[in-house]
Amino acid sequence: MTGDPADNDLPLTDGVGDWAGDAVASRMVEGTPYSVALGMRYLSSSAGRGSILLPWRADLVGADGTDILAPGVLTALIDHTCGLAIMAGLAFEASPATLDLRIDHMRPAAPRASVTCAAHVYRATRTIAFLRAEAWDVSPDDPVAAAQAAFTLNRRGAK
Amino acid sequence: MSGLVDLEALVAASPFCRFLNIEPQVDERGVLVILPARNTLIGNVLLPAMHGGAVASFLEITCMLQLVHETGNVSPARAIDINVEYLRPTRPEIVYARAKIRRLGRRVATVHGEAWQKDEATPTCLVQCHFRLPSPPS
Repeated sequence: MTGDPADNDLPLTDGVGDWAGDAVASRMVEGTPYSVALGMRYLSSSAGRGSILLPWRADLVGADGTDILAPGVLTALIDHTCGLAIMAGLAFEASPATLDLRIDHMRPAAPRASVTCAAHVYRATRTIAFLRAEAWDVSPDDPVAAAQAAFTLNRRGAK
Repeated sequence: MSGLVDLEALVAASPFCRFLNIEPQVDERGVLVILPARNTLIGNVLLPAMHGGAVASFLEITCMLQLVHETGNVSPARAIDINVEYLRPTRPEIVYARAKIRRLGRRVATVHGEAWQKDEATPTCLVQCHFRLPSPPS
């Protein structure tokens, strides 16, 4: 994909044997200072997939007086969920860094609503992962935000 | 019509801005926004680096403050979309940001923002935001 013959598509781990499990995955969410500060809760992960819940909190709303979570809070939630999906796909043997992240705010979340985000790696090479993510308050069929991201992987042991 | 809004009061009225503890200043170039470093903003403890989500939301707020500063309209603009480009890690040190309105239409504004630390010429993160502008008073 990048023209580098060593940069072929890379299968993500399917979980069996390589899967580091929920304990490591939840530590990535509940052990990172900023995700802790925002109150993110680990929900689930599997190869190349992750989901995180962000419970509503009064100190995370914007200036408009509507009690809706600020858009910037969703940005962090989406970014972190993408990181979780990558780590889960690489058996936590990487140090992913966001290259770019594009978020469409499709509608405001409901006032005082918690938001859930699910991200998945739809393609990964040796060096890059491409992800899509969605965030919703009530139903995944009616997202408040949709996102697309590219990450560098910084895989341990990679050249 | 520009520069009449008290940005510090606007920031003080936003719980999330208070959470980030951002400080807006106005100078001849526009709005300069400061994000003081804090351990809770860290997203990568090994590097260490600030969380990309913290830097992006700081930049989005910078874009919004520049918009309010230039238009004088304090009614909240709604974020339509944001495109974030991470150029290098943002270290857990003080971060600065400025934004520039690239187009101000009747309904939509396009605003670009840049964050830097030691040197404004080497930004750590860039954003492009679209905002839905509040309807003009009829």
